[in-house]
Amino acid sequence: MSGKTGFKTFAGGIHPPYNKELASGKAIRACPIPPEVYIPLSQHIGAPNEALVAAGDRVELGQRIGSSDAFVSAPVHSSVAGTVKEVAEITGFTGAKVKCVVITPDADQPEFAKQQGKDLEAYSDEEIRAIAREAGLVGMGGAAFPTHVKLAPPKDKPVDTVIINACECEPFLTCDHRLMLERPADLVAGLKLLMKAVGARDGIIGIEANKMDAVEEMRKAASGADGIKVEVLDVKYPEGAEKMLIFALTGRKVPPGKLPSEVGCLVQNVGTAVALYEAAAWGKPLYERVVTVTGDGISEPGNLLVRIGTPIQALIDACGGFKGDLAKIVMGGPMTGWAQPDAKAPVVKGTSGVLALTADVVDVAEEHECVRCAKCVDVCPMFLQPNFIVQAVKREEWDKAEMWGALDCFECGCCSFTCPAYIPHVTYVRKAKADIGALKRK
Amino acid sequence: MAGELLTNVSPHLHKKDETIARAMKDVLIALAPAAIWALVVFGFNVVLILAVSCIAAAIAEVVMRKIMGRKITLKDYSAMVTAVLFAFLLPPTTPLWVVAIGSFIAIAVFKELFGGLGKNVVNPAITARLLLWITPLSVYTTKFVRPFYWKDSGFFTPIATSFSKGVTTFQTLAGNSVDVVAAATPMSLLKSGRWGVDVITGPTPIGATWTNSAGRPTLGSLFLGLKSGCIGEVSVLLLLLGGLYLIWRGTIDWRIPTGIIGSFLLLNLIFWNQPLYNLFAGGLFLGAFFMATDWVTSPVTRRGKWIYAVGIGLTVFLIRLLHYRPEGVAIAIFMWNFGTLLIDRYIAQPKFGEVGVGVFNKLPILPEPAPAPAKKEA
Repeated sequence: MSGKTGFKTFAGGIHPPYNKELASGKAIRACPIPPEVYIPLSQHIGAPNEALVAAGDRVELGQRIGSSDAFVSAPVHSSVAGTVKEVAEITGFTGAKVKCVVITPDADQPEFAKQQGKDLEAYSDEEIRAIAREAGLVGMGGAAFPTHVKLAPPKDKPVDTVIINACECEPFLTCDHRLMLERPADLVAGLKLLMKAVGARDGIIGIEANKMDAVEEMRKAASGADGIKVEVLDVKYPEGAEKMLIFALTGRKVPPGKLPSEVGCLVQNVGTAVALYEAAAWGKPLYERVVTVTGDGISEPGNLLVRIGTPIQALIDACGGFKGDLAKIVMGGPMTGWAQPDAKAPVVKGTSGVLALTADVVDVAEEHECVRCAKCVDVCPMFLQPNFIVQAVKREEWDKAEMWGALDCFECGCCSFTCPAYIPHVTYVRKAKADIGALKRK
Repeated sequence: MAGELLTNVSPHLHKKDETIARAMKDVLIALAPAAIWALVVFGFNVVLILAVSCIAAAIAEVVMRKIMGRKITLKDYSAMVTAVLFAFLLPPTTPLWVVAIGSFIAIAVFKELFGGLGKNVVNPAITARLLLWITPLSVYTTKFVRPFYWKDSGFFTPIATSFSKGVTTFQTLAGNSVDVVAAATPMSLLKSGRWGVDVITGPTPIGATWTNSAGRPTLGSLFLGLKSGCIGEVSVLLLLLGGLYLIWRGTIDWRIPTGIIGSFLLLNLIFWNQPLYNLFAGGLFLGAFFMATDWVTSPVTRRGKWIYAVGIGLTVFLIRLLHYRPEGVAIAIFMWNFGTLLIDRYIAQPKFGEVGVGVFNKLPILPEPAPAPAKKEA
């Protein structure tokens, strides 16, 4: 379907203030290496990794330091050359304790030794999956699902379309935008690898209309490529949600509880595609990523190439530190990210942004009784009834919470954004998911 | 870093100015033109009635909330909206003490006793108005004056309906009787089948007569608001403008007024029951844009809103077809407030990508008893 602007889109959704201009014009630059990196052993959805190193060990840049035999897992690699100080429990960005390898980097850091002369065309689908796994690739938009698992869809559900999610519909974030401007050819090469891995005929790069410069760059880079096209999407949140994006671009609807392969689609993030290219062409594992450091509480917002495990304080220091009446630090985007109690949590593979928001931007108020205005129902892109989910959770009626759609919610936050009663729907949905899950396991 | 950082769950942004108070203020703004027009047509009475209604509502809210140990929420303006809407449903000569009783009941009983804004089942303003109608107080709320009656008695000489020995008359607040002719409303004209010139005559201040040669109010005068009736329902044009403002602001859903007015007009066209006259005559626009769209008492899904709206349109049509009642719109909305409970519970809304979903939610026909409060783990 088409939106008001004539570009492709979905039904529902919201128009938050985007504030992209804070960082969209800033070229990607390297973030200085901190005195210590804290690399969480498990940065993906799936089976946890075991540490392969111990205190006192010497590690090289890109050396594998954690892995698991389970299929749904992704290894982690050292983001620096240095010495392992310890393997310890550190508070991660979600507030839960995570096992981290703490490494003291050497004073002199080597350049990554790129492998030369790889023929990307020559890789088989099996080899591409192996490369993705070997490099520890996960979805870099935030979900952090292991990429090689996504690249192995069920045999009876052939994938014909690979979609690059270049919407970057979260306000403030600009890291994917910068990657498209600065490395369009690498993104196209990554998309080709993804298409080959699943045997897809079509590749679509979906970009929101607020990044027309990126659309132009990508169209140039993709002009000679077979089956690849660049599509412009309406500027609306959550345009980049997997199911919404597939619907906007192909008209196909992924049924509730199903994966995109159900309708022959695979969706990958810009960063993931570029990382796959780096892994296939250079043999480079995923040990660094682009992070947007922005918000009205940051002195000099920018886009940094950050080693995994860098505490967010180091990123903020690299951007001139805080300014103004700081009210909130968020890891990720402002709609789905995690508020931090301090600036100590380390950057992981799924970290797309670090935001510092002042009291002017953060709007908190006491939760009022639901006034049934139905704005949450109107904006919900999944056509759920968030107000009734909240009601059911308050009454602990789990079967009803499920009927109103608690398990189908992907926590985009449109409901709370637009709620005049300031109800934190996502909090209730998470409670419903946890408790319904616990009941089902019984 | 100054002080503690906030660590609540996402999202971390909230839509600017999207608050309950903002929405309620919007409704008051949207009602303002109709209120000002009522003042022009019916004189200073209107100001007194609105003021008394608001004060009584505020007192009711504060008293009830204090008794129940809840936070005072006058700041959200919801009591003011109810008070103004309640006043809009009254004839311009309703005695002030009747206004005060009605407005107090609207808030104290039909809003706060149910648990306050968000928990009330029925629209407080409408229900209080219907309550007055079925009590002996109804004698004070059935007399109407013709527009611009105050040209004879004076703009700042408020008059009120008075009742004694089975006869209603108009008196000034000081108790002197006034010689004001009671007028038929367009609705009572429809009811009686009389279209006589005798009940409604006289030129407007701008000189134009507001009846046509057959003695009926012209459609234009009905639409613009040169007619007798309740305070708020006089000018269809101004109510429409206010309603469109609310839709533009996103405060009310366009489906509800569209469904009500659309289905009502369609049915009247099919049965050829004075379609346009019926449309502009009574409180249909006030009800469709400002009463039926009440957040709390209307369904939440798009599908549910259509059912609710068409249901109201059909009900008003039936009431007017069978027996003209000035309260027709209020009765219909009141009925469908209960319909909302059923619609929200049983009418299914398919999720994104869900196919083969029936019209109804799979729920037991009768609600199970409310679960016992969760026991605190020892």
